[in-house]
Amino acid sequence: MNPHEHQAQLSELFLTRRQWLSRFGMGMGAVGLAAMAGDGLLTSRALAAGANDLNPLAPKIPHFPAKAKRVIHIFAQGAPSHIDTWDPKPMLTKYDGKSIPGGNGVAFGSPFKFTKQGKSGVEVCEVFPKLAQHIDKMAVVRSLWTDIPSHEVATVFMNTGSLRIQKPSLGAWTLYGLGSENQNMPGFIALRPGGGPPGGANNYQSAFLPGVFQGSSINTQAQSVEQMIENIHNNYFTQKEQRRQLDLVHQLNAIHSQNMQKDAQLEARIEAFEMAYKMQMAATDAFDLSKEPENIRANYGTGAQGKQLLIARRLVERGVRFVQVWASGWDHHNDLDDRLRNKAAEIDGPAAALLSDLEQRGLLDSTLVIWGGEFGRKPTHDKGGNGNPGRDHNNRAFAHWLAGGGVKGGTTYGATDEFGARAETNKVHVHDYHATLLALLGFNHEKLTYRYNGRDFRLTDNFGHVVKEIIA
Amino acid sequence: MKRAFLLVAAAGLILGVASAADAKKKKPTPAPAPAAKPATPTPTPPTAKAPAAPTAAAAAPTLTAEQTAFFENKIRPILNAQCLKCHSAAEGKVKGGLALDTREGTLKGGDSGPGVVPGNPEKSVLIKAIRYTDANLQMPPKGEKLSDQQITDFVNWVKMGAPDPRSANAKGKYASATERKVWWAFQPIKKMEPPQVANPSAVANPVDNFILAKLEEKNLKPSAPADRRVLIRRVYFDLIGLPPSPEEVEAFVNDKSADAYAKIVDKLLASPHYGERWGRHWLDVARYSDTIGDPAKRAETPAYPFAWTYRDYVIKSFNDDKPYDVFVREQIAADRIPGNKDRTTLAALGFLTVGDHFNGNKNDIINDRIDVTTKAFNGVTVACARCHDHMFDPIPTKDYYALHGIFASTEVPRELPVITGTQDKTKYQEYVRERAALEKEQSDIAAQLKAKGGAKNNKKELQKENLALKAKLDRLDLVHPGAPIRAMAVEDIEKPHDSPVFIRGEPDNKGDLVPRRYLEIFRSPNAPSFKYGSGRLELAYAIGNKSNPLTSRVMVNRVWQHHFGEGFVLTPDDFGTMSTPPSHPELLEYLSTYFMDNGWSVKKLHKLILLSNTYQQASTDNPRFAQIDPFNRLLWRQNVRRLEFEPLRDSILAMAGALDRTVGGRPVNLGESPTAVGKEKVGKMGASLKPMGTYSNRRTVYGYVDRAHVAEVMNHFDFAGPEMPNGRRYTTTVPQQALFLMNNPLVIEQARRIVDRPEFKKMEDDERRVEYLYNLLYQRPPTQQEIQLGLDFFGDAPASGKTTSLPMPAPAVAAAPVKIAAAKGKFPVPQAAPRFTPRPLTAWAEYAHALILANEFTFVN
Repeated sequence: MNPHEHQAQLSELFLTRRQWLSRFGMGMGAVGLAAMAGDGLLTSRALAAGANDLNPLAPKIPHFPAKAKRVIHIFAQGAPSHIDTWDPKPMLTKYDGKSIPGGNGVAFGSPFKFTKQGKSGVEVCEVFPKLAQHIDKMAVVRSLWTDIPSHEVATVFMNTGSLRIQKPSLGAWTLYGLGSENQNMPGFIALRPGGGPPGGANNYQSAFLPGVFQGSSINTQAQSVEQMIENIHNNYFTQKEQRRQLDLVHQLNAIHSQNMQKDAQLEARIEAFEMAYKMQMAATDAFDLSKEPENIRANYGTGAQGKQLLIARRLVERGVRFVQVWASGWDHHNDLDDRLRNKAAEIDGPAAALLSDLEQRGLLDSTLVIWGGEFGRKPTHDKGGNGNPGRDHNNRAFAHWLAGGGVKGGTTYGATDEFGARAETNKVHVHDYHATLLALLGFNHEKLTYRYNGRDFRLTDNFGHVVKEIIA
Repeated sequence: MKRAFLLVAAAGLILGVASAADAKKKKPTPAPAPAAKPATPTPTPPTAKAPAAPTAAAAAPTLTAEQTAFFENKIRPILNAQCLKCHSAAEGKVKGGLALDTREGTLKGGDSGPGVVPGNPEKSVLIKAIRYTDANLQMPPKGEKLSDQQITDFVNWVKMGAPDPRSANAKGKYASATERKVWWAFQPIKKMEPPQVANPSAVANPVDNFILAKLEEKNLKPSAPADRRVLIRRVYFDLIGLPPSPEEVEAFVNDKSADAYAKIVDKLLASPHYGERWGRHWLDVARYSDTIGDPAKRAETPAYPFAWTYRDYVIKSFNDDKPYDVFVREQIAADRIPGNKDRTTLAALGFLTVGDHFNGNKNDIINDRIDVTTKAFNGVTVACARCHDHMFDPIPTKDYYALHGIFASTEVPRELPVITGTQDKTKYQEYVRERAALEKEQSDIAAQLKAKGGAKNNKKELQKENLALKAKLDRLDLVHPGAPIRAMAVEDIEKPHDSPVFIRGEPDNKGDLVPRRYLEIFRSPNAPSFKYGSGRLELAYAIGNKSNPLTSRVMVNRVWQHHFGEGFVLTPDDFGTMSTPPSHPELLEYLSTYFMDNGWSVKKLHKLILLSNTYQQASTDNPRFAQIDPFNRLLWRQNVRRLEFEPLRDSILAMAGALDRTVGGRPVNLGESPTAVGKEKVGKMGASLKPMGTYSNRRTVYGYVDRAHVAEVMNHFDFAGPEMPNGRRYTTTVPQQALFLMNNPLVIEQARRIVDRPEFKKMEDDERRVEYLYNLLYQRPPTQQEIQLGLDFFGDAPASGKTTSLPMPAPAVAAAPVKIAAAKGKFPVPQAAPRFTPRPLTAWAEYAHALILANEFTFVN
């Protein structure tokens, strides 16, 4: 709640309908303008620019020119083993079944084969045969590390850079910085197959950023648009009549806000109603996969991930700024051979289809696609002596890949030790990773700030070094 | 789950509890009799004395309790929050060569000189830096200067010799186990006297002393008393989750007696709806659900046909003002409590059993029970210690397996005990007949299975059929009015045993056996381990006990949170070292003592809080104060709060005169038909909130909660997910919430009902009508402006009979069910949902609907 609230003048309450329409048509309550403009990034621009920029969702120019305009973040939740996906460790294979020199536990060599792929010759695991064909578009970061190897904490950390305090998600920061190219849909959407991820809404929250930057979560397990976004249609009023009703509601809210001397949560709710009104038209179309040609749908396949990634593409194509795609199930403490293989198969085809599809539409250059989990796994057996081994949690090493959006393709960055136990060369902490993602979007992570509670907050806290080597 | 219901349908139709119990005689189940057990288990004596023995930190000087407390309460939190990010050896960040995470490092200082010179603040670089006197040395950096009070604390700390219990071998910023034990929350509750305040006239009761004292420290003042209409709306929603009627509001506004407000509080606390509101808060913590969880891999039926008996037990306990310690003990060991004659309290054990079933994984079920017990009652996250010692709190893995032994020695009985018999003979007979028929089918299948053991395909088919029959049996118990009512009880196994530590949480990797007991931090060193049965009874007494330092604090914090929007401690289920220290530690201590001294009466606790001026103050903003205390942690005003989904839906129904206020009973359908069976998964129930079929207008707390399929609308309105204990809901604002209110027939139809109310129809002109709606929906009359706004809405035809035109034939997007064309096996083909055919609305209904949509309806000031 912002303390420096502006009070609506009474004269503002009785605007003509046209005036109301034009104000709210921007997706913004009049009473909230000053509140939104009062802090941080928006201030200078809002004051320097015309009224259009007072809309917090209006497209904005980042700090410096950059290729990535939007993001699809595929969150492989559960902590995929880097050793069995993007960080081959031949030395570990040599020691398979023996104890690791200077380490604890029995080495567990990856059951999978890695081969060099593409012109770049980056090694790719056999479980990703289709993604292997795109390796020259991808940058693999092999030296990520994080703070705490517990799923919920680390998952939220990967999204917000905060261990305990509720802070805005990467998506919310992106939307805050860039605005949205579609004023009729939420600019930040989280797609989840069924229930929420560990940490729930903390993963797509706006926290102290204004509510308009909050991620809206959609259950993609639902089978129709009407189920995905319940109550998307009104069967009582014509669109015109509903507009008239909402105009009245906004006037009532303006009076209320004034009596209340304003409050950010009231303002957020006003915006939510406007967005809801517009979504009735826009979302119906965006989520309707029946509008996709048969061959495209076939490329993405019939699985839950294919459906999600196809929706994600339709969303970014319509100017949604940030799409989080939840792909959980990577917590392989045992049966890693089977389970990881199956898990990889779920995402391999759809992710490859997404990259091709974006490329064909000329969107790959401007769309940053990232894949990865919240931490990695250990090089040793989790279940001593069992026939179907897996790996335990490891916050000291994990791997992600990035593609499109100004990423230098066919590269790898950083390295773990010879067994993959910990990141060693060119280590990339989550804060560094965030700084890099923001750089790909055109932001100096130290300057993308929001003043709250008397302090300038940023995604990377007091940390973060940009990994320039993976930026084209 | 081995629940089989053997019924005695024979002879004289045995009804009711006693007979049902007699008739079974499977085991000599002497409920409610923990026969031949010690009269009272010895409660664990208080952990007493701080600080913990200084043996572990060899080099650390012995500190007095006061010194330790000063460091822990005033110094460490600031170091952790403001300094260690950049100055921590353990984290590998020692900017300027300074490490402040150990005593040694703090003394040694960095490039700018010795950090702290004990006894001499002027020579301590740390003090110089935080004072901001030197432009080149200002910490924390970037203008985040500490408050004057914090700086004074540091100066005083250095003056007293910079007592610092931390040792050089500290692991990370979370310090050693010994140090963690001195965390405030693990210390005995202290008796507190209300502090003196400069302005005693602002004090209504001791709560205000504590709040005022802190406000005065910062030169802040409490807000003026809230307007009476604001106050009555606030206290109604807080206590019963429903709005006052216009008549109740008027009566209160006109009641000039001194105790007018106190009478309202008493009336609401005595209302049966109080338990529904506060029971729901507890059900959030108890991760309540009517189903077992994810049915995807299930080899069992999803329903808990009797989970609702636990829900009703909770509601009744709040309504009866059951002493909280008894409430705690019954939920852990109602079956074991000596002298407990009330068989219905067995339902309390649902606390342990309504959790996720994890596909029958025994250790996961035990983990869930450990988790809910320790978080709900004591605000400690013991489940973190399943695979390794707790990373932040002094909870070793052994503590976890001490509890594991208790729950491993506890099981769900083969047959759930009947707690209430059926009153209606005919219905009961009917039930028995239906049940017998289903059981006959079941035994036929069993016979076939035995006979045809070999044929694989057929076997699968039969097993499937068997599962379907089980589902039918569950449903019979869930919905049949003749079904005897049972408790989701547990009992001790015959030969209780200790559990070994599972190294790294792996059941195959066993370590030492751990005697059954409660957490080390709450025990005196020589306390005996648990001996009686599983040990649940002793556990119940170790928690539901005045000597436990957290039981009272945690509950007081929950109650406070629901009256002010935030608790003293922001994380109600975690009081461990990762939680923020309480905003008002002294008041928390005072209330915790008050709560125990007043017979653990939750209602008395409410009353003390509600009668304070602090609670009754206005929620008006004050920009100047907001700059000093932006989160209003010091409570210079009451917080503006948004209604959760339950009171929002309930009040819409109530205002329409449509709310069914029946208390208790089997879960009702707030989605699709709860009687669905066969192809429709039981799990689909509650998937939406469409008014069709037998949609219920009961209060939302009675809705069927399906753990694996929580209704999307509930998710979007931040309902507490039943996967795990959840004492604090998120507050998100998303368009889906707006869509529900704007478009869902449930809401719109209530708007129609509101203007169909006879009182409304009696109003003689439009102005009166607007006034009526404001009084009903907002508990206040409209201003002239607002009346005008309403009248303008009707435009040039203000006749109340004018109707809206339906969007027919609708524009493409709003047309009849949106169907996604079938894509041959590609994407699942959607089913066209059954449609609700709307009738046109009058402009008045549309106007009433607008008032429901507006912010004032949803926020409580």
